[in-house]
Amino acid sequence: MSALIRSSRSSSGIPEALALLRAGNSRLVSIFGSIDDYGALRAHYLLDVDRREYRLFTGHIFGALPSVTDIVPAAAWYERELHDLYGVAIEDHPNLQPLVFHEGWPEGVHPRPGLLNAPPLREYRFLKVEGEGVCEVPVGPVHAGIIEPGHFRFSVVGDTVLHLELRHFYTHKGVEALMEGRQVPDGTMLAESVSGDNSFAHAVAYCQAVENAFGISVPPRGRALRLIGLELERILAHIGDFGALCGDVAFSVPAAYTARLKESLLRASARVTGTRFWRGLCRPGGMHRDLPSEGLLSLAECVAETARDFAELAQKCLDTPSVQNRFESTGILQRNEARALCVVGPVARASGLRTDVRRDHPYGHYRTVTVEVPSHSIGDVMARARIRTEETAISARLIAQAIAEMPSGAVAVSVPWQADAEGFSAVESPRGELLYYLRVREGRIRRCHIKSPSFQNWPALPLAMPGNIIADFPLINKSFNLSYSGCDR
Amino acid sequence: MIFDVAAQSLASQPVLVPLEQLLGDCTGSRMPEVVADRLNLELASRAAAVCSAQALRLEERDGFRQLLLDYGKCTGCGRCIVAGGGAVRAAASGVPCGVARTALLRRWNIDTGTEIAPEDAALDSAGKQIRSLLGRALNIRQVDAGSCNGCEAEIGALTSPYYDLERFGIHFVASPKHADMLLVTGPVTRNMEEALRHTYEATPSPRLAVAVGACGCSGGIFQGSYAVSGAVDTVIPVDAYIPGCPPTPAMLLTGILKVLLGK
Repeated sequence: MSALIRSSRSSSGIPEALALLRAGNSRLVSIFGSIDDYGALRAHYLLDVDRREYRLFTGHIFGALPSVTDIVPAAAWYERELHDLYGVAIEDHPNLQPLVFHEGWPEGVHPRPGLLNAPPLREYRFLKVEGEGVCEVPVGPVHAGIIEPGHFRFSVVGDTVLHLELRHFYTHKGVEALMEGRQVPDGTMLAESVSGDNSFAHAVAYCQAVENAFGISVPPRGRALRLIGLELERILAHIGDFGALCGDVAFSVPAAYTARLKESLLRASARVTGTRFWRGLCRPGGMHRDLPSEGLLSLAECVAETARDFAELAQKCLDTPSVQNRFESTGILQRNEARALCVVGPVARASGLRTDVRRDHPYGHYRTVTVEVPSHSIGDVMARARIRTEETAISARLIAQAIAEMPSGAVAVSVPWQADAEGFSAVESPRGELLYYLRVREGRIRRCHIKSPSFQNWPALPLAMPGNIIADFPLINKSFNLSYSGCDR
Repeated sequence: MIFDVAAQSLASQPVLVPLEQLLGDCTGSRMPEVVADRLNLELASRAAAVCSAQALRLEERDGFRQLLLDYGKCTGCGRCIVAGGGAVRAAASGVPCGVARTALLRRWNIDTGTEIAPEDAALDSAGKQIRSLLGRALNIRQVDAGSCNGCEAEIGALTSPYYDLERFGIHFVASPKHADMLLVTGPVTRNMEEALRHTYEATPSPRLAVAVGACGCSGGIFQGSYAVSGAVDTVIPVDAYIPGCPPTPAMLLTGILKVLLGK
């Protein structure tokens, strides 16, 4: 992992970060709050400078924090979250509305009730679109399918969407606050339950942050096993998403077929590892246990066969005119919009931003392999479907290579976690850049910040909607496939 | 092209898992089970000491020491299996699914190494009423009241060609107004509490509510958070529980069929 460079002078941390953001060669990765050892409130700005190094800028907050949303639109949700969770007043925010707490939230319940420089906001106002024939369509939080809760407010004329506004955080569970006070090894289990379908990526990201904090290096075999788990999770996500896209254009045969491919991989995982989603396997320092060589070989075979089968199916689907008709030019996210919102993962790569943590900031076993990063320029549903197809093949090759060249030896080392430390880790999860920041005092977690790719990417979805018909929303939403729980935490 | 896709699908081997292999199966769920004849105080204490979910604990009741395993809280972290030195192992079958909350608890007498028979906890009459009205046909509305989406991933797998829930006449429907059963995952967050209550009210009687997953059954690892109201039954009445983190498709199917068929 590329080292985290800290700018720790607390008087100048925030101005330095803002200056870099204004200069334009830094990508905003996250903004979050914390409380220092003396009880004072701090803000942290995490930037990716020149796509070469992550830099963390820290500063104490005196009074209000100046908003940077006008320069970096991606800051909007971070600043709103900082306002809600830490009671920080934000100066000149263009749309300071409650993000985390909804109307029914009980009075006086707050993660940090002692702080609250700025009183919690109560009322939420949706943007009112006016004009002849404009209707509002509210959707959610309880949706029609087996999916997570969130609210979408469409303003439409006929079938055509003029404006979409999101309201999320229905699944806000206070994970970051729950982490605090736990012993370091106990954080892994919570990390696995931040976004269940990406549980292994979260576990690895958390454990890497611990390892980074305590200066621990995972043995080669442990690193290779983690790569297999991470790439398998990506394949499962991409195959599942592709099938769901087919389902949303009423092409039910490939939808069922991909469900079958996905399940075959989950069952193979259960046979080899004892767990369908690789839960409970990762721990700080490496892996809880080794996986037997013959099991890995059978897993490699299953992955190769599934990837072949999927590639063939996906090609046939994408060659089908009725699929092309629905996928092409639908839900376009322009490159400049994606850049302004610092979008990550497959969604960014489909809009021409060739960014991937595995290549830009390699970690673990990725430092020893070459990761191809595909990209497309159009940013429509078709581009996102193609990215998922291409990445499935790349992931299958990475797994095959890792199993063929499997290092021998131990899978873990012990971590002397009963001390003070600060660490950080970034992982390319199936949805994009996932990041854990961790501060430990005497072996207990003092602060754990989780930046999920979904939190980053949700604000981009409304930009892909105007001009599309409302019936295409499920398709466009699925092509982004963001996690509600991962975003809300 | 469209026919090529159909041809590829038709050329594949059938994968449907027979019902006999699914009922009661919980491989891959990471749920533990106690090996009664290996149980002693030392192993029981060690296994209970590592359980951060407090699913496994020692109790003194009626004058003897017992080991209590609450599947409704277990997240399957596997630590008790390592610490239990042979007295706890990964369960391949037999984890109670689709039962009353009290039936998710199992108890062992540590001194004698025997299981204490569970208290009889019959499900209420809504299941019988739906059975007599509808036979086996059941419409399910799934409600995510705040889960991590792990349960949704497994519930979604029920419609895959391996399990094909629809072969039993069981369907997932888009509205609570069309539903006989709510399959609710949790923990119920403060922001979802009201929506869950409305969804329950919109479901016509007779109706069944089934709490799914460790978080739905007990609040799981999120219990105690400022943002969480609690288990599903703290917000709406619940008829039956399916444990697991997440429950496997086989466990979900076992639980749903048990609620529906009463066996």
